[in-house]
Amino acid sequence: MNDFLTLMQSELALTLILFILLIVKIGSEKMSNKSLLGFINVMLIINLLIGISSLWMQRPGGTLFSGMFITNSLILFEKNILNLGILIISLSAFDWLKNHKHLTEFFMLLIACVIGMFFMISSGNFLIFYLSLELATIPLAAMCNYDMDKRISSEAAMKMIMSSAFSSGILLFGISMMYGTTGTISFTELPQLLDGSPLQIFAFILLFTGFAFKLSVVPFHLWTADVYEGAPVAVTSFLSVISKGSIVFIFITTLYNAFRYYADLWYNVLFLSAVITMTLGNFFALRQQNMKRFLAFSSIAQVGFILIGISGSSSLGTTSAVYFILIYVFSNLGAFGVVQMISSLTGKERIDDYKGLYKTNPFLTWILTLSLFSLAGIPPTAGFFGKLFLLTAGASQGNYVLITIAALNMIISLYYYLKVVRAMFMDANENPVERIKGSTPANAALIICAIGIVVVGLISSIYDYINNIANFGF
Amino acid sequence: MEAKEIIFYLLAALTLGSGLLAVTARKIFRAAIFLLFSLIGIAGFYFWLQYEFIAAVQIVVYVGGIVVLIIFSIFLTQQAGTDLPNPPLRRIIFSALAALFGLIFSWMLISQHPFKPGAESPVAVSVANIGSMMLNVNDTGYALPFELVSILLLAAMVGCIVIAIKSRTETAN
Repeated sequence: MNDFLTLMQSELALTLILFILLIVKIGSEKMSNKSLLGFINVMLIINLLIGISSLWMQRPGGTLFSGMFITNSLILFEKNILNLGILIISLSAFDWLKNHKHLTEFFMLLIACVIGMFFMISSGNFLIFYLSLELATIPLAAMCNYDMDKRISSEAAMKMIMSSAFSSGILLFGISMMYGTTGTISFTELPQLLDGSPLQIFAFILLFTGFAFKLSVVPFHLWTADVYEGAPVAVTSFLSVISKGSIVFIFITTLYNAFRYYADLWYNVLFLSAVITMTLGNFFALRQQNMKRFLAFSSIAQVGFILIGISGSSSLGTTSAVYFILIYVFSNLGAFGVVQMISSLTGKERIDDYKGLYKTNPFLTWILTLSLFSLAGIPPTAGFFGKLFLLTAGASQGNYVLITIAALNMIISLYYYLKVVRAMFMDANENPVERIKGSTPANAALIICAIGIVVVGLISSIYDYINNIANFGF
Repeated sequence: MEAKEIIFYLLAALTLGSGLLAVTARKIFRAAIFLLFSLIGIAGFYFWLQYEFIAAVQIVVYVGGIVVLIIFSIFLTQQAGTDLPNPPLRRIIFSALAALFGLIFSWMLISQHPFKPGAESPVAVSVANIGSMMLNVNDTGYALPFELVSILLLAAMVGCIVIAIKSRTETAN
């Protein structure tokens, strides 16, 4: 019983919040949105603090329910990255949510999603993995529909649920064939039973495709831009950071542990998809005019870089990917936070609207510049170190073609990130975004992101810490 | 050919045939009815495999619940009597080719694979056993997935209510 409480503590904490919200919803007709938001943010902060304190105490890992649920320090750390991410999203969505009618339900859906992600990261067999993947996707589709009066938002939700149903179908087909050929659904028993028969390879490819859909790796990225554009900014940032991050975590675990037998196979698949993903994501990002679409394609390109890190197939690969996700949380949420504030207070989302932003809103301009620099990987920011370690991990396989292509892609991405920076600082605009004053929580979120972008890159003990706890599987 | 094989092929014909008709039907209401037969065919497979409980669940949930729900929503949203537009010929050809390729490819792989009996000993599939395993928190139990599904249902209900409430207030305005 004690084991149950300590090992599953992150999930239980979030479930508790979910039920508190349910009760609050029933009994809080008179509570104003602002005080509700404050209450929720305090709960999320406590949740994060509990998570960090349990990391501090260095609880040993373990399994529950005969191996269905696995946890260790790395998994706990990953869960806390996600906890931090939802806290930042919740803070920066303040201006959007303070006038929304269905505030409590938004957080109920969000927390349910994150519970799903936690169980997915901790899953020890295909059954839990599949169920929690659905739990992490279905509420998300409802969240995409959260700009209730906008048609484009409903369209985004529809596209989201259709494409995720399709990808779940492919994934299930793969899982069923994997079960048919090995006779087990447990990730720990799987490696001994893999034998490289054609049917099994096909099953693995289908599984990989399921992951690729959720990560929007290039041939399966078509839903991404439309969903990102239609969904409210808070949901878009959740999709691009939290959702992707959680899939990357479980992707690494399954590839490195359960499917180690197919290392040669998935190295080649990763190589190809990384190259296509980076290149196409970058070229499409070049020509976007809507800020959300722009960030959508930029996030596709970032996934390509993460795949390079994963292809390193060593503990360095795990470390660099987890480290990069941590930095990515700060940089992408910083960028989305600014877009969110401008969009919810003025309704402007086009890059042209950002011209001359520096004259009217220097604070927002600096935050966005810092975030974009970090996404592009320019040295003083953490993004540079993140990309550096990803490429180092990828280079450990000795495939320098891949690294060269990645470097070329970084140059292309530099161009379009700097294009936005130039528009904000240098371009004249007769009709710029007026001076806006965001709420305190939203500004706090931006400052947290800015601090994160600078500090995570400079304090090397964070990287060492991840490296220490990432030594599993190899 | 034994009786069980004949039953298998009959069930397969029912499932696949009505599934195909559900996809190709030009009236959306008919498509829903064909889907109903396809799902009954799948329930038949579970009976054939002697998984009575899953077969009953299949009938109660899919045939009794989901298809009825689909038919309700067709009545509420679409004109059930009008024909859907014919898809362009090119799309028909390419989707047929893709489906055919998928079928042949997976059939070849599956028919060539030497399937071995699983390592785990099969469990008794009586209803009492399934019930006690689902609520069992010990090592052999499946309480965790059970609870996970319950959270999923809670979230899905919240999501549905939030989306549905919107249209009610809009009509009120």
